[in-house]
Parts: sequence; structure tokens; C-alpha cells
Amino acid sequence: MKGKMMKRGDLILIGIVVIAALAFIVPRYWGGNESEKNHIENRFVHIEVNGEAYQTLPLTEEEQIVMIKTEDGFNQIKIHNGGVEMIDADCPDELCLGFGFVTRPGQQIVCLPHRVSVFIGVESGEELEVDDVVG
Amino acid sequence: MTSLAEESLLLKKTVILAIFAAAAVVLGIIESMIPVGSFMMPGAKLGLANIMILTCLYFLNGKDTLMLVVLKTLLTAMILGTFSMLLFSLFGALLSFGVMYGLMKISRKRLSLIGISVAGGIAHNIGQLAAAAIVIDSLNIFYYLPVLMIAGVATGIVVGIAVRYLVNALGHMKLFAPFVPNEY
Repeated sequence: MKGKMMKRGDLILIGIVVIAALAFIVPRYWGGNESEKNHIENRFVHIEVNGEAYQTLPLTEEEQIVMIKTEDGFNQIKIHNGGVEMIDADCPDELCLGFGFVTRPGQQIVCLPHRVSVFIGVESGEELEVDDVVG
Repeated sequence: MTSLAEESLLLKKTVILAIFAAAAVVLGIIESMIPVGSFMMPGAKLGLANIMILTCLYFLNGKDTLMLVVLKTLLTAMILGTFSMLLFSLFGALLSFGVMYGLMKISRKRLSLIGISVAGGIAHNIGQLAAAAIVIDSLNIFYYLPVLMIAGVATGIVVGIAVRYLVNALGHMKLFAPFVPNEY
């Protein structure tokens, strides 16, 4: 093989990307600890289908199972312990099941084939801007 | 009028494209069987098909590679039955192709195939998220971009290394001999 495996430019590119990504990721897990679990009272789970509001539910410790039925199929979410997860869906890729259990405001579960979006907001009816989430 | 030599070159190119498309589709299917999009990284993919795209970009020109990208995306969607997802994959694939093609043209001296592959992988993620953001009409989905970027760097490096080995091996084959670029 000719030449070196990687060039300087590669390292610069990779470095910039990793630093930029970490700059967004680290603050999410930093300092969020004290405000994390104790504010679930004013947090809501927003469900949207096709970009339009479908249902808004309070984020609770108790278990709530919600069935979302759309023209394309169904999605089932479970709200519990101050978080929400997608537990069942009949979409072709089932990527939405891979989002896991989300607990932070701004976090979102999306099922693209069904155009279903589930996200945690701080106040009812208000959408969190991306900047608010990372700032 | 095309000479015999040109015609043979065209034929070789067609054969190469067909082989690459077949390989890319198979890699796409294999990839769909491996669940990587797990915790916190929904939509993260290995980008194995990108091996063929980048290899094609190395040997052939942009037009041929664009053909390969469209062919691979359509065929994979048809075989996997994820036709409703076609818009997203196409969005990601085209953006990824555009970025890799551009970088191949302008900064081949500074970036190796690994860097180009990393950039392509990240562009693919951004393209898919953008398509998703348009469909669900919300920018919240970009919350996942930083995590996907890290994943993109990791898979991009692996894909880039694979391309490097593949390009080297194929370059020694008679079929590919007329297409080996005289760089380095």
C-alpha cells in the first residue's frame, strides 16, 4: 500500500466533528442531575401525527399505556417512572422501538413510516426549541 | 461514432457498475439484519453500502456513481419492502454522495479515503434527519445528531479502511486497470 493510512486532514476533520459533537452531548449530562428527576410535574408527553397534535399527556411515575392509531398502522407507548418508551409498533423498520426509554425534555421518539412523533416538553402545548434543549 | 477501444471501455464500465450495484444491495440487506440502531442511536447504521459507493467514486466518475447511488437505494427499498422510507434513504444517500463527490474533487490531496468516508457518513445522517424533520415538521429530531455524528465517525473510519483495501485489491485486476486514477 502506498502512503500513510491517514492524512493530517483526516485527523483534523475527525477531531472537529468529535469536539463539536461532544460540545453538545456533554452539557446534557452535566449539571442536569439536580433538575433531572424532580420536575416531572410540569413535564408533558406530546404526541404528534403528521406534524399535528394528537394527544398530550402528563409525564408520570405511574404507568400509562397509550395506543396511537394512524392510517398506516399503530404505535404503542408506555409512560412510567418519569419517562416514556415505545413498546410496540407495526412499522416496517421498527426503528422507533430502538429509541429506548427517554426521560429528558426535548428527547423524542419518532416513527417515520407512521409519521408519529412523541416528545417530552416542559409545558403543555409548547414545543421545545432545539436551542433550549442544548443551552 | 465510437471506436472499438471506447466501446470496450464502456462495456467494462457497465460491468463494474452492475457488480458494484449488486454488492451494494447485498451489503444493504446484511446491514438491515444487524441491529445497531439501539440505545440512543436510532437510525445509526454501519453504512456498509457506502464501501461500494466510495470505491465507485474512486474508479469511475460522478455521473456513474450517482447512477449507482440511485440504483442501490431503489433496489434495497424494493427488496426490503421499506418503500415508505425511500424518501429518507434517498435524501441521505444523495447528500452523502454530494459531499463525498465534492471532497473527492477539491480536497483529495488533504483527505484520504478515510476522511472522505467519515464526511460521507455524517452527511448521510444529516440528510436522513433533515428528511425526518421535514416530514414530522419538527426540528427536535436533531437532538440525536451529535450522537449520530460520533457513530458516523466510527463507522466512517471502518468503511474508509475497507475501501482502501478494496481499492488496492481491485486495482490489480485487469477489469479495473483502465480506471485506476493516477494519483498519490
